[in-house]
Amino acid sequence: MSGAADIGIFSFALIYLLLVVVLILMRKSKIAKTRELLIASLRMTAQLVLVGFILTYIFQNPHPALTLAFLSAMIVFSVHRVVSRQKGLNLKFKIIVGVSLCASGLSVLAYFILAVLGQSILNPQYVIPLAGMIIGNAMTGMNLALANFTENIASQKQKMDALLNLGVHPQNILKPLAGGALTTALIPTINSMVGMGIIFLPGMMTGQILSGTLPTTAILYQICIMIAICAAVCLSVFAALTLGVKTLYNGNCQFTYVPEQKKPS
Amino acid sequence: MEPLFHTESLRFGGFLQYGDLSFPAGKITFITGESGSGKSTLLKLLNGTASPSEGKAFYRGQDISSLDAVALRREVLLVSQEPFLFDGTVRENFDAFYGYRETPPLRDDQIKKLLQSFLLDFDPDAQTRTFSGGERQRLYTAIFLSFWPKVLLLDEPTSALDNVTGMAVLTALLDSCREAGTEVITVSHSRQLAGQFSQNTLHLGKEAFH
Repeated sequence: MSGAADIGIFSFALIYLLLVVVLILMRKSKIAKTRELLIASLRMTAQLVLVGFILTYIFQNPHPALTLAFLSAMIVFSVHRVVSRQKGLNLKFKIIVGVSLCASGLSVLAYFILAVLGQSILNPQYVIPLAGMIIGNAMTGMNLALANFTENIASQKQKMDALLNLGVHPQNILKPLAGGALTTALIPTINSMVGMGIIFLPGMMTGQILSGTLPTTAILYQICIMIAICAAVCLSVFAALTLGVKTLYNGNCQFTYVPEQKKPS
Repeated sequence: MEPLFHTESLRFGGFLQYGDLSFPAGKITFITGESGSGKSTLLKLLNGTASPSEGKAFYRGQDISSLDAVALRREVLLVSQEPFLFDGTVRENFDAFYGYRETPPLRDDQIKKLLQSFLLDFDPDAQTRTFSGGERQRLYTAIFLSFWPKVLLLDEPTSALDNVTGMAVLTALLDSCREAGTEVITVSHSRQLAGQFSQNTLHLGKEAFH
């Protein structure tokens, strides 16, 4: 097998024709998101070009400090993305979310690279792409979980008050909501596990096959990364919610979290 | 005799001033007053689901803020004005509330007896989804009563009922509480109900505003 064919800059530009087709169709159907798609594709292009140059530099000059810097930037960005969406949560909860995401993502990553692959923890070729997949998916899972959790708190206020009046500890009132949020976070991973190989060929495996890796090796990596993603999502959401719910009530067992009022749409 | 509850210079949120109140033990107390005079908030202060901004509330002589909040609420149950029921049958509702309280569920005959005393002619298998507002309120109150607390705080327990049913339900409810030795404090708009059942009336007037 050979490596992936190089794409020339003009041939590469051809792919944008497909995007133009989408934009025309959206404009014709008067879909509101046309502008967003345009901005999103420009952002994607700019971000990936930048990251392409940075990674090329890091791979050509492998140094632990550079790998660590890249990893840190990735974590800071993902924590910021999650926390900035949850304006209503208290600072302590936000810190717990950040620490859970960081600790769970990094420990799963370390286990994968050290124990399963037997590579150096600072080898950029492994650390950077795998960290991106693991932390990125943990971030998406955390976003889903927190959105579900806060929405349910807002919609189940009456139930929570009734149970509080009945003498149920706030933690036991919140526990089922946290469980529901964890399920919500895991559903996309579970769904993609089920469809994988039959309905679609996953991105990492496709990438490896394109670059010449044997499909039998590529599937092993794919299975590993799926389980690692599942573990990172589960661990980070579980830790964040188990510790985070304790910040939502005070010493008198009264709820202190006031859900954000939804703006009328 | 030591009062069931009493308060000292009690204030809430900077806009409700209750001052010094006393709720004698062994008497059914009715709290009356205009909307916004702080009746519901007072009940929350008594079962510790809200805390005063100033002053203190006492339960049998003990400062409520120093008591174990969950243990207090199990002893002093508050039936709020807006009933909450789970989706499902009457039995599933009892089971869900009992599950949260980590208490063994009631048997069907116990549930049926309770329903009858609240004039609810339903089977434990009946779906609560189809219940009217008044039926939901009665079932909700029945579930809370079934825990037989030492004190039952009721917030407008008959607000969703017509006069005749309200009167009948309250009679049955107060009879059950008397038999079980459960103290009752209830908020009510209805002068008629207060006139009929109250043994001690506390009127929160405009003076509650400061």
